[in-house]
Amino acid sequence: MMPILQIGPLAIPLPGLLLLAGLWLGLELAERNAHRFGLQASSLYNLTMVMLLAGVAGARLEYALRYPAEFAASPAGLVSLDSGLLDPAGGLAGALIAGLIYGSRKGLAWWPALDAFTPLLTVMGVALALSHLASGTAFGAPADLPWSISLWGARRHPAQLYELLAAALILAVMWPGRKGQITSPPGRYFLTFVALSAGARLFLEAFRGDSQLLPLDLPVGSLRLAQLAAWLALAASLWGLFHLGGPENKGYFDSDATSEPEQHLNQ
Amino acid sequence: MKFRFSNRVIIYIAILIVAALWILASAAAPGSTTIGRIPAPQAGFLAPEISLPTASGEIIRLSDLRGHPVLVNFWASWCPPCRAEMPAIQQVYQSLQSHGVVVLSVNAANQDDRAQAAEFIRSLGLKFPIVFDEAGQASAAYALHSLPSSFFIDSEGVIRDVVVGGMSEAALSIRLHRLLGETGGAASP
Repeated sequence: MMPILQIGPLAIPLPGLLLLAGLWLGLELAERNAHRFGLQASSLYNLTMVMLLAGVAGARLEYALRYPAEFAASPAGLVSLDSGLLDPAGGLAGALIAGLIYGSRKGLAWWPALDAFTPLLTVMGVALALSHLASGTAFGAPADLPWSISLWGARRHPAQLYELLAAALILAVMWPGRKGQITSPPGRYFLTFVALSAGARLFLEAFRGDSQLLPLDLPVGSLRLAQLAAWLALAASLWGLFHLGGPENKGYFDSDATSEPEQHLNQ
Repeated sequence: MKFRFSNRVIIYIAILIVAALWILASAAAPGSTTIGRIPAPQAGFLAPEISLPTASGEIIRLSDLRGHPVLVNFWASWCPPCRAEMPAIQQVYQSLQSHGVVVLSVNAANQDDRAQAAEFIRSLGLKFPIVFDEAGQASAAYALHSLPSSFFIDSEGVIRDVVVGGMSEAALSIRLHRLLGETGGAASP
């Protein structure tokens, strides 16, 4: 565990730095491969920046609306770098709304855009696992195994390492342009990523020591909320994959497409 | 009407069934996931005990403050972000003390000069309890990596939030209000 990276007088929070690095590398990978999904790199970059800025604003706005008196007394808090005052739900809502509005105005087709984002998401999965390793969060359940690690007062499953391994495997499987990879029809690439990630989370959550449990006692015990959410995501992605059909369906550059990728994809 | 399922549908349904069975097989015994009984300097864990003297020699124990939301703040006089956030801590302490919030300020005395720390306290007019960690035991127990470091502890003694680095008054106030909201407030200790 290494939550702080000390470089001379600078104390840099390593988890945050890892996430930023993941965002940068993932965006670079996505931009380099945007052409495979009929998008221009600049379109993807602009959409990402719009969603990022709107996400941060939404995350902070949610807190400001919930605690108006505190922010009125200390307005500097509105623009502080304190990540603890960023609400994930508000951030996600802000990012999605801004993305929908921006994408609609630019005439971006959604399945190709989601496919083009997928390399970024796969790299962020690895970055998130590394940030968990650095911060000691997402820790494992107590277990006395040869490969257990000592963390937070007990020997535990190295859940962060399991997560890192799964994320790395998903990145390898989803690596853009990998031989034999199926990316048609539009949407299949993204939904495959969602299915793999949901499946991994569903499996690995069983080894976590910080699971939030459903407040319902069943004969088998208490169900883990993250597993239930992952099952729903898995079901939705498999339904989507079934609905999209197989690779024989129309892809990005079929014979009846125009020669201009973005004209073909703008709807 | 005949139904014909493709191989793909059968595989997808099988995956979902296996996944559901795994969820049932990995169900947790109630209370088995970590929250709260092991002492560790991490959100969700019991706050490690602190038992340290004030400048006058009085011993203050964190466990004696159970029943109140507590902010444990580690600092040193040579630390600029510590100096920057102290007025905010003082302000929030003054406004929330009547609601039962306690601030336990821990000077990392093992890496600070006692006289400079005393001048630091005097110059900022700090009124909350301040203890001195001469042997570095509390710093070790809380795995101190950087200063300032703050631990927000609920009335049951469980750490709810850990913040490394200085905080604004809004950030402090919101976190303490969250603790108060969970506890419904308590009389001052």
